[in-house]
Amino acid sequence: MIKQQAHPLTEAQSGLWYAQRLDPANPLFNTGQSIELTGPLDRAAFEAALAQAVAEADALSLRMIDAAGEPMQAIDPAQRPVLEVIDLSREIDPLAAARAEIARDMATPIDPTRDKLAAERLFVLGPTRHVWQQRIHHLAIDGYGMILLTQRVAELYNARRRGIAPGALLPGLAVAFAEDAAYRGSEKREKDGAYWRALFADAPDVASLAPGNPSSGPAFHRRAVEIEAEVFARVKAVAERTAIPWPDVVTALAAAYVGRHAGTPEVIVGVPFMARLGSAAARVPSMLMNVLPLRVDVTEGGDLDAYLGAVAKSLTRARRHGRYRSEQLRRDLGRVGGLRRLHGPLINLLPFDETPRFEGLTCRLEVLSTGPVEDITFTFRLHGTDGLRLEVDANPDLYSIESVAAHAARLAHFIAAASAAEGLADIPTATPEEMRRHLFDLNATDHAVPDTTLAALIEAQMAATPQAPALRFAGEDMDYATLERRSRALAERLAISGDIVAVALPRSLELVVALVAVLRAGLAYLPLDLVQPDARLSRILASARPRLVLAQAEDAHRFKGEVQVLAPADWPEAPAGNPLPGPAPEDAAYVIYTSGSTGEPKGVVIEHRAIVNRLEWMRTHYGFSAADRILQKTPATFDVSVWEFFLPLISGACLVVAPPEAHREPLALARIIRDEAITTAHFVPSMLAAFLTEPTAKGLSLARVFCSGEELPADLRDRFRRTLSAELHNLYGPTEAAVDVSYWPAGADDRSRPVPIGFPVWNTRLYVLDAQGRPQPPDVPGHLFLGGVQLARGYLGRDDLTSERFRPDPFRPDERIYATGDLALWRPDGAVVFLGRSDHQVKIRGLRIELGEIEAAAMDSGLVRQVVILAREDRGTTRLVAYVVVEAGADPSTLKVAMAARLPDYMVPAAIIALDVLPVNANGKLDRAALPAPDFASAGQRLPATPTERTLAGLFAAELQLGAPVAAEDDFFALGGDSLSAVALLLRVRAAFGHDPGLGALFTQPTVEGFARLLEAQAPAQDLGLAPLITLVEGAPDLPPLFVIHPAGGISWCYGRLARALTPRRTVYGLQAPALAPGVPPPESLEALAAHYVEHIRALYPRGPYHLLGWSVGGILAQAMAVRLAEAGAAVGVLAMLDSYPCDVWRGEPDPGEDGALRALLAIAGHDPDRLPALALNRASVRAFLRASDSPLGQLPDAALDGVVRVVAGNNRLVRQHFHQRYGGSILHFRAALDHVGRDLSPAQWKPYAAAVEVIEVPSLHAHLTGPEAVQTIAPVLAKALAVTEASEETRCATAG
Amino acid sequence: MAIEPGDIRRIVTPAAAPVTRETMRADIARMLHEDPEEIGNGDSLLDLGLDSMRAMNLVLKWSEGGLALDFAEFAENPTLDGWWALVEARQRAGG
Repeated sequence: MIKQQAHPLTEAQSGLWYAQRLDPANPLFNTGQSIELTGPLDRAAFEAALAQAVAEADALSLRMIDAAGEPMQAIDPAQRPVLEVIDLSREIDPLAAARAEIARDMATPIDPTRDKLAAERLFVLGPTRHVWQQRIHHLAIDGYGMILLTQRVAELYNARRRGIAPGALLPGLAVAFAEDAAYRGSEKREKDGAYWRALFADAPDVASLAPGNPSSGPAFHRRAVEIEAEVFARVKAVAERTAIPWPDVVTALAAAYVGRHAGTPEVIVGVPFMARLGSAAARVPSMLMNVLPLRVDVTEGGDLDAYLGAVAKSLTRARRHGRYRSEQLRRDLGRVGGLRRLHGPLINLLPFDETPRFEGLTCRLEVLSTGPVEDITFTFRLHGTDGLRLEVDANPDLYSIESVAAHAARLAHFIAAASAAEGLADIPTATPEEMRRHLFDLNATDHAVPDTTLAALIEAQMAATPQAPALRFAGEDMDYATLERRSRALAERLAISGDIVAVALPRSLELVVALVAVLRAGLAYLPLDLVQPDARLSRILASARPRLVLAQAEDAHRFKGEVQVLAPADWPEAPAGNPLPGPAPEDAAYVIYTSGSTGEPKGVVIEHRAIVNRLEWMRTHYGFSAADRILQKTPATFDVSVWEFFLPLISGACLVVAPPEAHREPLALARIIRDEAITTAHFVPSMLAAFLTEPTAKGLSLARVFCSGEELPADLRDRFRRTLSAELHNLYGPTEAAVDVSYWPAGADDRSRPVPIGFPVWNTRLYVLDAQGRPQPPDVPGHLFLGGVQLARGYLGRDDLTSERFRPDPFRPDERIYATGDLALWRPDGAVVFLGRSDHQVKIRGLRIELGEIEAAAMDSGLVRQVVILAREDRGTTRLVAYVVVEAGADPSTLKVAMAARLPDYMVPAAIIALDVLPVNANGKLDRAALPAPDFASAGQRLPATPTERTLAGLFAAELQLGAPVAAEDDFFALGGDSLSAVALLLRVRAAFGHDPGLGALFTQPTVEGFARLLEAQAPAQDLGLAPLITLVEGAPDLPPLFVIHPAGGISWCYGRLARALTPRRTVYGLQAPALAPGVPPPESLEALAAHYVEHIRALYPRGPYHLLGWSVGGILAQAMAVRLAEAGAAVGVLAMLDSYPCDVWRGEPDPGEDGALRALLAIAGHDPDRLPALALNRASVRAFLRASDSPLGQLPDAALDGVVRVVAGNNRLVRQHFHQRYGGSILHFRAALDHVGRDLSPAQWKPYAAAVEVIEVPSLHAHLTGPEAVQTIAPVLAKALAVTEASEETRCATAG
Repeated sequence: MAIEPGDIRRIVTPAAAPVTRETMRADIARMLHEDPEEIGNGDSLLDLGLDSMRAMNLVLKWSEGGLALDFAEFAENPTLDGWWALVEARQRAGG
């Protein structure tokens, strides 16, 4: 019989089969529906009708066969579903019970090779209430097939009830198989495939409504709304007007809706296609449907009918080629894998009422599942004659249930608006409710602020608390009365100085006096940074034209007579008592220059009213008081400094001014925050990241830390919480809107990813608008605009730029908004999230950079014909790279110097790459991806010579992750370093040398040799001998050095005698525990410590071989280092131990604790603790004892002794947690032969961890192994072993050579 | 005899002008943006550019007068002759 014959799967089934095999536990491959039947059901007629219909529908009896190589299927009557009748009429709530049972059933996956593909169930709720559930695997049926089957059951039921003959039988599955086979080999299929491949040859990537990787989940969210009858009537009128079927009209509008969210000019949506018209298989209940990818150009501008016509035309063409499987097309195009999709959201139109008509019964149909939902599906279902319901089904991995509900409401509204629109441009994206909330409710920030000036607020405070400390700088205080007097005296002098006074002072008390004086004189201050090159200063001075500059006398030459300089020494000390004019609220308070895209810096003019609002908001919102101590560390040219300077002065708090340059030095900042009991500090996030890695920052406690200037990464927020004790607040705002306009508490309970920029401050508005200026709905990216009292007056002398960026507020008459150029979105809770720049502007460490300004500087040099500046992200840092085509005969190496003369240092590219031509793509546009990455290669010739140079060269290479060796003349910054990696380098320097000369020193001496000189010159005056590496003996340079590793106490001085006893004399370096220094955390593991030592010795002596020796714990460390060195392919010479035993021996013994550590300290100092029974074992008395004794340990300061105790305790822990690996060489073991009586300690215990153990018996106690007698035995044996190893090493090299 | 819910729906549906072969030809032509004379009785409507959504829309339109038309039958043989035969048969059967 033909029905039992095995068939290959149809093309339509194949895609599903593989999807199901990949995700066998997903129950959504079962499609299903339930129908509530109300009225007197003729149970016998129903059962007979159902039995006949399922017998006709062969597909329900399919059995899938997972044959090797190719899946097959056969019609097997044993698989045919039999109606299951379930009586729930005794349940308290039978309908609820039925729904629960149906939900359970639909959530149960089936195995199509074993289980029946279909189930038919009738729930009896009562005499006149039934629920009929059908569940059929998608391999057997599609949505249209389900309708055919259901309608057939109804037809058979009605015919039986009426006693008439039913219509024609459903055709058998063989018809569908035959059609599939015919199409597979047909020319039509070839043509269809060619059509699609051509159409998609240049298709863009798929964009959707939510970010993320769509893949089928085991469940979906669903929310439904009814399209209003009036709207549906209007849609049908549009259909009538355009002669386009209304379902195609709705599809086109839904595609436009998708486009609004994707933000791309073109979208690709999926349109389910029944693939039945004109097919002999049209009436076969089976799986035939296909999903057609539809490319839709959603560009706005034209009229609506033209748009609808274009989409309808695409749809007609797609359907004409609609039998070609989209899975096949995806393979043809190589669009395989989650993110390389063929289409985004599905738009499914069901323009017929699927509800069957059972005579005498009312039916209510619910479609439970139509297959897995990868992304989001918009289904429009006709019901009754004129009802249209929109169902939104979405993948819960990508969409919250709230966002699904929001899409349902928003799309319904979009269609309502579209049905009355003349063009797409007339249709808002957001609903009226969303618009009201976003534009008005969230921006309802009106707050009464006194209409006054910053000068008046400061004057009021100075009068209120004259004796309170106002300023503190370098240990010097200034009270409010003094500030009042000095600023008044200077203000009187300034009052006749035009309207802008430049201030070019370094951080100092005078700087603050100057700023306050300028404000009190009723003038605006213009901060200048003298680090900037002359050319830039001149341009700013030419633009702002200040009459006077307040600067130090020694800097006067920078102004070359362009403007008069008034140095602090010439400032009047005492006020004359003349009345000060004082500013009005609408007068300018300051002018700050920012980078401009045209190459010309732009001066932003901020008025008093604006900055007063910002400061009063901050003071109230965070509860600042006279008790606060606010750190001023931001350069005055960066507007964050404005609140640092003035918030304390209007709150009666103390302004603590950090030393010049301290803002870039984590160590200095940590110290000042601790020593000055700072309550509030600001960090640019990238600097905060560097600060948190500073060991001495750990555990610092402040009231609050503010971040702004660049994006605050969520990971950094989390790291902040683990490191510091302080509130963390994220602020956002451009210079053009008085410092900050939004705030977000990134407190302990903040889990946001990304961290929002939050909500508007007082009297301020944030808008996220699309390219047409329409407000965006939640979660949709748009352009961020700002409004309110804080907006700048504009750009000084540049009305053109001002009107370009400051525009009329479209939603509030007579107000302005500022176009930030930033992208953002509103979260559903109303918080704004920053998404990056919309143009080529970049930020480097919080400083806004217009690449155009840098490009202009390159062009102005006359050296290049073409230039492109890129901010490249490389190993986590952003660096500026210039790509240039040089003028004939020009030398590109001079370009950097030329640019540095015009630009501040942070804007000078780290690399300049000369190209013959700039690469362009097919459209003639610059192909950014084709620009080569810069190569920061070594340029030097001389090998590092001294130990300091060698170590330093190794640290440069490690920090910059360079593969190649670093030469002595190499410049850290030329190798790709920037100020952030410089901070990290200094941490390494401190770990290796015990101190670092600071960031400023690295900037002045960035080469290996130069910085090494500084390091040596600035070695701590009082060398305690606790540096991580000490030189015990300086020996013959041609002999490989011996590295000796500290015992438990972490100090290596004990090896001095042995080191000096070796002949020939060779260099002996002692490694000491880094954790001896206060603030250095203990190592994670012995393994980590060994790795650190290996890195250190390799940096110092890259050539090898490495001779290692360790006493006690030092021997354990030496073995672990030998293992690591051998693994890395480095040569290990001698591995010697002074009476060390493997960790296994110690693991079982109790941790000796602090007592044990103190006893060890005594032993290190040469005392036998057992002979000191009267000595109390606590730190204070042990310290006192050591001081009184002649031990060199007694000379150590308390902190260092504490360090030793900590290291001993730490080493006890490390040893117990360590597990050895095997070392392939041999161990030379010096055993303390007089010790260990009655203890199970033997060098043989190392045998599992080395190739061989050679034991030398030394007639000594363990504690005396570095004493004079033991050294007499050990030194000759060791010296010989070293010589023998080196000789064999040379022989090996010679042989190999 | 009790009034069946299905009948109620049919009663409230407004009666439309009866469907004829020529109104069908005109409707199809309009859907295809063609003149009615371009639609031959035996032409494959698929070849003329008809797609399933348009076909379904036509079937729905012709059912508005109360005729119980089944799209599945129309899908099997999409020509004007084939469709007119289906409509005529239903009209004779009284809906």
